Amino acid sequence: MTERAGYLPGLAADEVEWRVLRFGRGIETLEIEVPVLSDAQMAALAARVRDAGRHHLKTLSTARIVNIIDQAIARLLDRDDPYRRKAEALLPVVTGYDGEMIRLGLTGYLKTFRKPELNRFLAEDFPNPGILDDFQPIAKGGVARAFGPDILVHIWAGNVPGLPLWSLISGLLVKAGNIGKVPSAEPLFAGWFAQILAEIEPSLADCFAIVWWKGGDIVQEKALLKEAELVLAYGGNESLAAIRSRVPVTTRYLAYGHKISFGMISRAALDVRKATTAAHQAAYDVVRYDQQGCYSPHVFFVERGGKVSPRDFCRYLAHELASFERKYPRRALTIAEAGDVAAWRHQAELKVLSRPEHEIMGDAEGAWSVAYVEGDDDFAPSGLNRTIKIVAVDSLADVASRIAPYKAFLQTVGIAAPPDELYRLADDLGRVGVTRISALGQMTAPEAGWHHDGRFNLLDLVTLTEIEHSAEAVSDSFAPYVD
Amino acid sequence: MDFQDKVVLVTGASRGIGAAIARAFAGEGAAVAVNYLQNTAAAEAVAAECRELGGEASPFQADVTNGDEITSLVGGVLETFGKIDVLVNNAFRPYVFDPENRKMFWELDWADYQTQIEGALISTHGLCKAVLPSMKMRTQGAIINIASDLVARPTIPYHDYTTAKAALIGFSRNLAVELGPFGIRVNCVAPGIVYPTDATRDTKEEIKDMLIASTPMKRIATPEDVTGPVLFLASDWSRFMTGQTLYVDGGLVMN
Repeated sequence: MTERAGYLPGLAADEVEWRVLRFGRGIETLEIEVPVLSDAQMAALAARVRDAGRHHLKTLSTARIVNIIDQAIARLLDRDDPYRRKAEALLPVVTGYDGEMIRLGLTGYLKTFRKPELNRFLAEDFPNPGILDDFQPIAKGGVARAFGPDILVHIWAGNVPGLPLWSLISGLLVKAGNIGKVPSAEPLFAGWFAQILAEIEPSLADCFAIVWWKGGDIVQEKALLKEAELVLAYGGNESLAAIRSRVPVTTRYLAYGHKISFGMISRAALDVRKATTAAHQAAYDVVRYDQQGCYSPHVFFVERGGKVSPRDFCRYLAHELASFERKYPRRALTIAEAGDVAAWRHQAELKVLSRPEHEIMGDAEGAWSVAYVEGDDDFAPSGLNRTIKIVAVDSLADVASRIAPYKAFLQTVGIAAPPDELYRLADDLGRVGVTRISALGQMTAPEAGWHHDGRFNLLDLVTLTEIEHSAEAVSDSFAPYVD
Repeated sequence: MDFQDKVVLVTGASRGIGAAIARAFAGEGAAVAVNYLQNTAAAEAVAAECRELGGEASPFQADVTNGDEITSLVGGVLETFGKIDVLVNNAFRPYVFDPENRKMFWELDWADYQTQIEGALISTHGLCKAVLPSMKMRTQGAIINIASDLVARPTIPYHDYTTAKAALIGFSRNLAVELGPFGIRVNCVAPGIVYPTDATRDTKEEIKDMLIASTPMKRIATPEDVTGPVLFLASDWSRFMTGQTLYVDGGLVMN
């Protein structure tokens, strides 16, 4: 089976060079053709997107754009829609994730981009979203209007299905011309979304493009970066630094690096009834997309003193992971990924040798592992792919100071604790760099309007043009109706 | 069914149903701990048979109604075999099954009930608790308690014995709920009368004929008949069954 990735307005398929990426899952195989553009083609594409963005997208009201996106999302939520069917059929083959997990994950995720949720996005960043459509009064006096960039370049990473929608939709809401570069690990979804948008509103067909190049292809990357007004990039710090070195100095650059998220379970959540629920939710956070998200947990801090001990919580969690393995089996790992898991286990096993109170659960050949540790163990990333560490602590209040050295890497914390403790912990965690606190079981499903890494999804993309009060006042004197 | 690398502890395994269960596990490659109370020679013979059948086996003497002896039994098994995957609580307090001369209700004292209830539950309670740390550590394990079909159909009302076995089934269901989240399963096997065993050696032909007449399969269970369901409940084939009671009586009881 062959599928073509990307979305290239103005370029005929036969003018473009296509390269084939091969994917397989069990007996299913899929060949994806990805476009390899010449410098000239990249420049032509950027010119077309810039021009169409100025003339079409920027003339639409935000409400109209919200409606168009809402219709596109409605199509992807409709399980009979051909694109949705294609997503359900092909994404498991491309990413290796379990089909059911993808189906449920997509629905939950897409629901955060419907009209009411998009309006929430806007309201989160703009006290008056009308500022995207026209000059609006601002608090300091005068008026201002927000403009999105002519060319917003997205460099996406990872294989969590649908993830590019976050920034692509953000770009559309601020009326930017968007060019997104898809990762080789999941090159399809963004292109489908672009095609749906173009089908729904043909006048926007040229306002965005989806391209590909092999990660690290500097020539291709430079060809696009020089066209950009603003660059959004995702990935590891090394590749982000490399991209930054190639972004022209006058171009704004926003980087979203790898993050570590974790969970905290208060003794109040460890009574006999609630502990199994907490273990179920914690396991779900681990299982969803095999910890590939920035919001996926790597460690759970579990407080002593509840009816259920951290050690028994660990066992509940282990059994939940075993159960989830039957419901949502882990995807087949690459050799490198399997190596990371083995290295993580090896490290944990070494610690068990020196500290017999530590434990490691799950078979070495199995699809999950839980390490149980006591004392001040290092706060470190897991081996990914369903490897998780449980750290028993006397008090959750001690955790924040322990993780403070990792400020640049912290993101989501899933917390099960009573209200006063939740606020107390949140305050401490915020100080050391945590930007999102969710319920256990919700770590991998940020709510609509979430401030990614504590930043503004939309506000960070725009520039304000202010008409100061003086200009407004003086202009009166030039009016034909001046008295 | 493959029990290679699995460790099974069977209580009361020097004779009768327990010995048959031990042999059956060994035949599928398991390492079997043959617990017994008194008859060392018999237990050693069962262990030898187990080894001949292809499994590992060792006899372990212990009075499973005694807490200290349970602790040293489980400690000994763990020391010998490293873990316990399956516990079969088969031992029970001696009871005379004599339909003609059984005690009628008004002849029974509370002490008679007490004896049987303790016989069925003290050992099971103690052993379940003792094997739990080892099973929890690996979040897997199967416990199988041997009950009786008399609970569902008291063909002959052995009040004290059957009440104790009914308590055992209730005990098992509660434990199944508690241990499910740890991946540990608890089930019962409830045989009808099994012949020949030491407990049924003196059962009269007339009684057996009466039972055979009402049994769809038209015979009485042998110890080997009981082993299949026990192995099944110990195996991954029953991985999603817990808190259940399987009746092994040729269809006398249908639930």
